[in-house]
Amino acid sequence: MSIDKNKAVDERPTREVSITVNGEEITSEIEPRIKLSDFLRYHANLNGVRVGCEHGACGACTVSVNGDLVKSCLMYAVQTDGDEILTVEGLSENGSLHPVQQAFHESHALQCGFCTSGFVMSTYDLLTDNPSPSREQTKKHLSSNICRCTGYQNIYEAVDRAAENISDDESLKLEDN
Amino acid sequence: MKPAAFEYHLPDSVSEATRLLAELPEAELMAGNQSLGIAMSNRVATPDHIIDINGLTELDYLDIGDKKIEIGAMVRHRDMEKSSALTEAFPILSISAGKIAGPVVRNRGTLGGSIGEADPGGNYPSVLVAMGGEIELLSTDHTRTVDATDYFTADTTDSINENELIKCARFSKKPFPSHRTGMAFLRKKEAAQSWPIVSVASAVRVADPTHQNPVIEEARVGYANASDVPLRLQSVEAAIEGEPISEQTLRTAGERAYDEVQPQSELHADKTYKRELACELTKRVFRRSYDRATAEPIVV
Repeated sequence: MSIDKNKAVDERPTREVSITVNGEEITSEIEPRIKLSDFLRYHANLNGVRVGCEHGACGACTVSVNGDLVKSCLMYAVQTDGDEILTVEGLSENGSLHPVQQAFHESHALQCGFCTSGFVMSTYDLLTDNPSPSREQTKKHLSSNICRCTGYQNIYEAVDRAAENISDDESLKLEDN
Repeated sequence: MKPAAFEYHLPDSVSEATRLLAELPEAELMAGNQSLGIAMSNRVATPDHIIDINGLTELDYLDIGDKKIEIGAMVRHRDMEKSSALTEAFPILSISAGKIAGPVVRNRGTLGGSIGEADPGGNYPSVLVAMGGEIELLSTDHTRTVDATDYFTADTTDSINENELIKCARFSKKPFPSHRTGMAFLRKKEAAQSWPIVSVASAVRVADPTHQNPVIEEARVGYANASDVPLRLQSVEAAIEGEPISEQTLRTAGERAYDEVQPQSELHADKTYKRELACELTKRVFRRSYDRATAEPIVV
């Protein structure tokens, strides 16, 4: 009954999965133990997905699965077979920053930048449901993410700026996915 | 921080899941994976087989009736938090669900996962013991129902058998008629990701909410992280029953809570601090429950 944990990698059980990442379908043969975060980084080559704590505390690996934010280090890629995933790389269009990214840039809402893609995804998710959040709502919604540089003030200001930019320009309205 | 190798099973029915559990006694059930995933990342858990029960849509239901409230094990915290029907009928479930970790964890974490983890700091366990909830367990050959107070036996230890899975949690609505019951859930914790230092769940039912000083007919209170199991304290409940709320009855309730909780010291909070927290939160949670029992409409 026991899996021989000393077995060579190519002898362990694998599964084929097809996952649509930022609109592109990726088919890959993977071990069930491969975390979604590692799948996105090493199979989809999307290094915007950051691997921080790897146990669900820091939020750096936050992505959207079928429209819901998840910590991708607490899902296994096999679980997302057939699903649609959005990472921070999927936000920008035609080489220009998404308004949330633009607002983070303008507000200097990052210091080391490691947590930024997770915060951008949480902000995107917040503004999709609530285009003009109060500061309290913003704090609550971003409570799944940690900035170890403690740059929260500028991050909250970036959320406000993104909300303003989006509400000023109808064409920037977020899709409610 | 990478889990050990495992074989993955994705049943699409409860009967297939229980069959797999019977065949693979060492397997772990995986629901939202917000706690098991941490244990696997740290290799505290190295299961050979994972039975992923996210496909069991038959366990993803809210059954909100006049006489009972039943929540399927695969209901996510988020769905309990955001259900207006549940908020109206049994608000403490929505309130306590909404106070679990941050929103991203609540998107995945489930009622059944939290009950199965049986952490004495968990929100639902304290609600279950305070409100007299019961838990239904299933296996290939039987179904059984366990009172919450018998279910939680020690720190992260419960009375579920290896071949069983959690079907649902159930509460009688009878002691908690909405129009004269108030419920509240308060806790002290340092960050969204951390466990509460202490949290308290309560309900208060008054005789006549339109009376100027409504008499409390019945009170319930449950504590998380105040013992090695979720703790209901009936002597604390008795302190405020039988008369309108007052500073005197609240003080007695708080003092009894201080004396009767059995907390462990932890890094950020020694036993005395946790006793003081239990005392203060008891007074506040009863006051808030009472205000809600007598307010119209119920404010959440």
